[in-house]
Order: sequence, then structure tokens, then C-alpha cells
Amino acid sequence: MSYDEWFREDRLPHIYCAGCGNGTIINCTLAAVDQMGWKKEDTVFVSGIGCSSRAPGYILTDSLHTTHGRALAFATGVKMAKPAFNVVVFTGDGDMAAIGGNHFIHACRRNIDMTVVCMNNQIYGMTGGQGSPTTPRGCLSSTTPFGCAEPPFDLCELATAAGANYVARWTSYHVKELEKAVKVGLETPGFSFIEVLVQCPTAFGRRNKFRQVMDHVEFLKSHSLLKAKRDRMLDNHEHVPEDMFVVGELTKRNRPAIGVKP
Amino acid sequence: MKLSIDENRCKGCNLCTKVCPYKIFREGKKLNRKGVAIPELDRPERCTNCRLRNLYGRQLCGVCQLTCPDQAIHWVEEEPYEPHKVAIEY
Ligand SMILES: Cc1ncc(C[n+]2csc(CCOP(=O)(O)OP(=O)(O)O)c2C)c(N)n1
Ligand code: SF4
Ligand code: SF4
Ligand code: SF4
Ligand SMILES: [Mg+2]
Repeated sequence: MSYDEWFREDRLPHIYCAGCGNGTIINCTLAAVDQMGWKKEDTVFVSGIGCSSRAPGYILTDSLHTTHGRALAFATGVKMAKPAFNVVVFTGDGDMAAIGGNHFIHACRRNIDMTVVCMNNQIYGMTGGQGSPTTPRGCLSSTTPFGCAEPPFDLCELATAAGANYVARWTSYHVKELEKAVKVGLETPGFSFIEVLVQCPTAFGRRNKFRQVMDHVEFLKSHSLLKAKRDRMLDNHEHVPEDMFVVGELTKRNRPAIGVKP
Repeated sequence: MKLSIDENRCKGCNLCTKVCPYKIFREGKKLNRKGVAIPELDRPERCTNCRLRNLYGRQLCGVCQLTCPDQAIHWVEEEPYEPHKVAIEY
């Protein structure tokens, strides 16, 4: 495997739980990065804090494992100081949408040239399963023991509304599609945001009737609705089920961006 | 080319048993020294990448490898004249 060489082999196996989908997302991201022909010396991976944010620690290039929620602030700094660098950010739903929410919308607004891969397990995995801003209604977490009563954020709509140039959503089941989406994200100048819904058997699955890892992956697969199909359903005034989520390329445009390679 | 699972990395999540179109990975039964049941390979020579990689000169399929969260699935070159089980498929 050619993207093999991007891993820090001495750090593997990683600490993720058995069946955690974060490793799958690292594979797909690195497979896309490997196709870009980038030099390792010119590539930086940045993250905040969380299980998802441990990803750069397993990658051979220089990286910044920063403070909780601040991955995008640090990544912005890297881009401003070194516009020629390729910046890829790994983050989680808690890291990016809760404590890092403001950094997120402003990085989208500024349309800074970087690619952000958000591993959305819909929970705070690392700290034992507290609810996050993307925990779906009715789901159990340690802070929503009777089922989450709040409506969740749609991270992709947020990124689109705030100004990101490229926005896509896939799941840890759609490995080939995800690899392609990350590649388009890396190629697109400006802010590229790829949300990946992912299974977290330990903190989310265990509490939410996904006893087996595959049960959750099957759920992600069967509840994803291709954007083209969703659009057709809307055109025909059909009802789009509430528990389905849209996957595919959601936004691609060419707003003025900053930090684009000279 | 032949498939190999790295016993040091595999955590026995069995995701690979669900994604291969040929169902080459089967749930393992015996625990290894780390207490993990490594999946068994069912006639792995059927794998697209095993058969055609060297002919096409590029990675084919590879869904199991991308899916494996623990980077445990790889392909290795075969030794010359490695004995094969002869499988006849009708
Ligand atoms: C300033 C600060 N507040 C709180 C924490 C505790 N903390 C660590 S990880 C985390 C949540 C991570 O959630 P997410 O980004 O979804 O990552 P996951 O573990 O789910 O991948 C929290 C609240 C912290 N490390 N720093
Ligand atoms: S707690 Fe969840 S997100 Fe964290 S490593 Fe375990 S399965 Fe993955
Ligand atoms: S997907 Fe990887 S870690 Fe999981 S059982 Fe298969 S080889 Fe092992
Ligand atoms: S590469 Fe494809 S055909 Fe070969 S073992 Fe993996 S999933 Fe199966
Ligand atoms: Mg999370």
C-alpha cells in the first residue's frame, strides 16, 4: 500500500478501541494525501483534543496536537506563516462544533486554504460519552440519560452558510467515496470541510442499541441518502425521512480564499 | 500477491468480514496470544488485488484495507513456487 509510508509504523497499533472507525478515516485521508504528490516536509497535520484528534500522532509528517477546540486557530497560524505548506486538520464533533465552534465558523468565513476532516461520532468519546452538539435527538449519552432533547447541529450546512468552498459528508462505511471527497477537498483552494459520520462502539454504540460494531456501520449505511436522490425527492415533493442524513458533495464553489499557495 | 493480516495490529473487530465482496475474511475462532480472534482467510487467492495487481500495476479494490481501522491488512509478494491449494470453482 502506498499510503503506508505516511504512517509512523513505530506508533502502531494505535490506541483506538476495537472497531472504532477513526482508523478507517485516517486510512482514507492518507490515501487521498498520497495521491497529491505532496512532500512530507511541506505537509502539516493539525488537531485539537479528543480521540479523533490523536490522528496526527500516527502520521509521519510534522504535526500539531493542540488544545481542545483550537485546531483551526493553530492551523490558521501555520497557513499564515507558511502559505506554501499543505495543511490538513483532524478534528471531532466536540472539538470543532462545541468548544471550537467560533473558530470553525470564522475559518469558513475567511475561507482559509486548508482541508478539515471531522470525525463525527456524535459524542465526546475520549471523556466517557458526554453529549455533543451533534448528538441526535433521543440518543443516550452520560449527560443526556433520558435521551437528548436538543436538536443537533448540521455541520455541513453550518460550513456552507459560513462560507467554506468545499463541503462534503460521508460515513466510515463509504471508504472509496470518502477517499475521493478528501482528494477533491485537498485540491480545492480555500476551506474544505469533510464531515465523516463514524461509529464509536465504546461511548456511543454501547448506549444506543448498537451492541455490535457492524450494527452501527449498517445503520450509517442504510440511513445515508445520496444528495442527488434527496434532491430528486424534494423536486417530487416526496417526504424525506427525518432519520436519514444526506451524503455526497454538498457545496463546491469559488469564493475568494486566503492562504492559497503562491 | 497474497493477503496477510498483521497479528500485532488486528483487534478482531471483524469489519473486514463484512466489506469484502468475496467474503474472504471469516470471523476467527481461536484467540491469539493477545486475546484477539484474528479473522481467517477463505480461499484468499480469489481476491481481485491478489490476482491482478501485478498485471495491472496498481492497487485494485482494496476496500478491506481502507476499512480496517487498525492498518492490519496488507499484501505481500509470494515466494517463487509457493504451493497453492487447487480450488475448482464451477
Ligand atoms: C479546555 C478543555 N476542556 C475540556 C477538555 C476535556 N475534553 C477532552 S476531549 C473532550 C471531548 C472530545 O470530543 P470530540 O472532539 O467529539 O472527540 P472524540 O473523542 O469524540 O473523537 C473534552 C471535553 C479539555 N481537554 N480541554
Ligand atoms: S471512545 Fe469511541 S472514539 Fe474513542 S477510541 Fe473508543 S471507540 Fe473510538
Ligand atoms: S478489520 Fe482489521 S482489525 Fe478488524 S478484524 Fe479485520 S483485520 Fe482485524
Ligand atoms: S481487496 Fe477487495 S477482494 Fe481483495 S480481500 Fe480486500 S475487499 Fe476482498
Ligand atoms: Mg466526538
